[in-house]
Amino acid sequence: MFSNLVLFQISILIFLGGALVGLLLRNNRFTRHAIFGSAMLGSVFTIMFSIGVITGKPMTWMIPNVIPFFDLEIFVDGVAAFFLLIVGIVSFAVSAYSIGYSKEYQVKKRTMALGFLFNVFILSMVLVVASNNAFFFLLFWEVMSLTSFFLVIYDHDKEENIKSGMTYLVMTHLGTAFIFASFLLGYIQTGSFSFDSFRHGSTGFPLLVKNLVFIFALVGFGTKAGMVPLHVWLPKAHPSAPSNVSALMSAVMIKIGIYGMIRTIFDFSGFGTSPDFAWWGMLLIAFGSASAIIGVLYAVVERDIKRALAFSSIENIGIILIGLGLSVVFASFQLTAFAVLALVASMYHTINHAVFKGLLFMGAGSVVSVTHTKNIEHLGGLVKQMPWTALLFLIGAISISGLPPFNGFISEWFTMQSLLSSYQIPSTILQISIAFASLPFALTIGIATATFVKLFGMTFLSKARSKYAMNIKEVPRSMILGMSILAAICVLFGVVPYLGTSLISTAFHMHSQPSSPFDSMAIQNSSGTSFANLSMPVVVIMLSSVSIAIFGFIRVLSGNTKKTKYGTWDCGFGSLNERMEYTPTSLSQPIRAVFKVFFRPHNQTEKESFGENPYLLKTIKIETAIKNIFEDLLYTPIVSSFVFFFDKVRRLQTGKINAYLLYIMVTLVLLLLFVRLSNNA
Amino acid sequence: MPSITMIIIGLVQVLVILGLAPLLTGIIRKTKARTQKRIGASILQPYYDLLKLVQKDEIVSDQTSWIFRVCPWVNFAAMATAAFFIPVFLIYTPFGLVGDLLLVVGLFALGRFFTMLAGLDVASSFGGLGSSREMMISALLEPALFLSIFVVAITYGGTNLSTLIGASSNASFLPHPQIIFAAIGLFIIILGETGRLPFDNPATHLELTMVHETMILEYSGKSLALMEWSQSIKQIILFTLMVNIFVPWGISSSVLLQSLAVGFLTFIGKISLFGIFVAFSESSVAKWRLFRIPDLITIAIATSMIGIVLCYL
Repeated sequence: MFSNLVLFQISILIFLGGALVGLLLRNNRFTRHAIFGSAMLGSVFTIMFSIGVITGKPMTWMIPNVIPFFDLEIFVDGVAAFFLLIVGIVSFAVSAYSIGYSKEYQVKKRTMALGFLFNVFILSMVLVVASNNAFFFLLFWEVMSLTSFFLVIYDHDKEENIKSGMTYLVMTHLGTAFIFASFLLGYIQTGSFSFDSFRHGSTGFPLLVKNLVFIFALVGFGTKAGMVPLHVWLPKAHPSAPSNVSALMSAVMIKIGIYGMIRTIFDFSGFGTSPDFAWWGMLLIAFGSASAIIGVLYAVVERDIKRALAFSSIENIGIILIGLGLSVVFASFQLTAFAVLALVASMYHTINHAVFKGLLFMGAGSVVSVTHTKNIEHLGGLVKQMPWTALLFLIGAISISGLPPFNGFISEWFTMQSLLSSYQIPSTILQISIAFASLPFALTIGIATATFVKLFGMTFLSKARSKYAMNIKEVPRSMILGMSILAAICVLFGVVPYLGTSLISTAFHMHSQPSSPFDSMAIQNSSGTSFANLSMPVVVIMLSSVSIAIFGFIRVLSGNTKKTKYGTWDCGFGSLNERMEYTPTSLSQPIRAVFKVFFRPHNQTEKESFGENPYLLKTIKIETAIKNIFEDLLYTPIVSSFVFFFDKVRRLQTGKINAYLLYIMVTLVLLLLFVRLSNNA
Repeated sequence: MPSITMIIIGLVQVLVILGLAPLLTGIIRKTKARTQKRIGASILQPYYDLLKLVQKDEIVSDQTSWIFRVCPWVNFAAMATAAFFIPVFLIYTPFGLVGDLLLVVGLFALGRFFTMLAGLDVASSFGGLGSSREMMISALLEPALFLSIFVVAITYGGTNLSTLIGASSNASFLPHPQIIFAAIGLFIIILGETGRLPFDNPATHLELTMVHETMILEYSGKSLALMEWSQSIKQIILFTLMVNIFVPWGISSSVLLQSLAVGFLTFIGKISLFGIFVAFSESSVAKWRLFRIPDLITIAIATSMIGIVLCYL
């Protein structure tokens, strides 16, 4: 067997090879098979070595002085391997999907660039997670940001996509700046860019530095993860990218932000088990709750299927952050068992979200690729024409809504149990605040279910509402295959939670339950009796045996009955048509009305009637729009004040040579003065 | 592993829930009829209805897909599985090791998810209307329900229903003030979850007021029977939770035949009384306008939050 290091090197070489193939090969029939095939192969090797690391020993690799003064240090421990496993699994499925999906782009003769960027993007994510040196971490981070930027603007003939790309570019660099600041603090304290020295030196940092490292990392990695209020780029960038790339970005790339956060908090910031650090966790819970509720509220009213999924990613990042925050709070009060519980909740949701969001974005991509519209107002009735896509999308929808017996339920159950365990914290004010944080959390879950009823129901059920949704065909087999892989994991991680919990506890070196696949997950209360139990395999057995029993029972009772097909009841008026159906906007109208404080909906009605009678309408036109409060109230003022400021600065640039000579002179004099003064002092 | 006797008693509790569910519906209907000066149908009428529906031929809309056809089965399976975790006349159920209160809530949500999809699947504006309203109500009920579970779970030390009801039956009369607030919150939520007035009128067929009925409008024959039955199972589960958590008197704490019999009889008594109470409260209020329902749910949320604060103070 190869050692983990060799597997790692092979996977890098394969991704590089795939990228080169994309760059060098002429466009022919097999180009996309070669490109995405190598991405699949590279992902397989990534999966293999990350499993090797999780079950075995951490992997290190070092090439001294690759660039003068900087050593390329690679270090993969269990935590990194866990995230690499997510990268590997999702990339494998998405690459398989891309073989069929990129056919559409081949017609436009641009598969090669897509393939190049795609491979480099996956490779950069692998390297970010694996690098053990601030310099290379930031280098690969930048490669990841830039390749994803180019992928976002891949369809650059649409003005809108370029705009989204620019927002993304600005926001991601803002985030990078904060990460840089966080690492610089570590460098100033330890005098080295190596993560090892951060790890060893960080416990000796002064408290202020520890807090600053945390804040900078929270802002920096939070931007990448799509944490509210730094999320503005996410709902723009993810829908603009080709769907396979959206799947990778939403499922994997934003998790790299979570990875960075975990690394910094538990490794580099000198986090200690003392109540001084409890506010870090509370801050994470606050941002997490805000992200969850704001993400889901925008998702439920959205009509663009991909943008709704992007908003739902913000929501799920919120749930992950709530779990992470609880874990930090518990750890700071030395409640280790509950810190483990909350961390398992958070990491379980991380891997779950990667899997079902990848699946849902691929499903949305399939729908968009056959109907050529992202607007669900125009869809409907696809279940009959695309049965497989519909089934797989439904599995994703049930999972993400947190319904048993699929995987979303498990991580939400863990998160709820962690919230309930907050009664163990020895501080009344924190107990009450965490209890109140469960309000936005539970509301999020409720609205998330509504969101996915709407997305699935409006896309796949009832009648087609426009010509886009008629006469279409099921997508090619490779796309179905890509989706099925992730759907299978959704089911597996729901029915046998042991897989997930043992994976997480081995990767993070924690003791966790259950200890065997059929054991129930148990939480004890303070008096030693059982607080909660859950054993999903048995629940599934119950569900299926109950179904069989009732099927037999009804069969015996009913005897021989017939089934007749007939039109839907139309109240006797006849000719029920698709214009009488509920549309996505009308479906979510009650929720929009309830949360109108938040959406600030703007409704305008124009009526034209026959003659005098106001009730006989000839035409009626209703316009409705909702506000994006973050853009309107937070970003627009900041951006416009910058524009105003730089307009003023522009006056310096007169275009006259003599003015510029004057500037040079003034600068020179000032510099000389500065040197003179600083020498004196 | 729980003993065989325990498992048998557990299964009996499940069968009691499944079997008595239509009876509870019958009692409520009868009481409502009497308060309206009608004689009303026999309390066994729901059983006759189910039997009649099961034996009828079905008409299925040609617009529908397999989602519409599997929905009644998923609904019934989810509700019947939820019944496994509920202690009925014994404070303990052997299936408590398999699932807890949060799983019960999750199974309810699974049923509701499919019902909403079935409402959309029939391609009529009725179905969409019901789903749209249900989306709003259920989204708001979720946090209210979780918060009241929060209060109960922290007070009695568990979401495991055996622990929970065991602790509540050992507690003295009204030991914790927060329990009163949780009870008020949960009562409002139960009215909403079971589609009773003032949330939804189960007896109506008027599009202005229907919520649940619109989604199942297209069902007939055995599919309709399953939908009706699972709705009444959900109702009896919620009522059982309510009476067993807040009024645990008489519930058996040992497997002796005598105390089991007492437990069973008091259970029947309590649940019928609670059903009659709900029927009276339903007769005395009018259906609220759809957009006032959030106010009612907010009351439930607020009382649960007061309960949480009282837990910790």
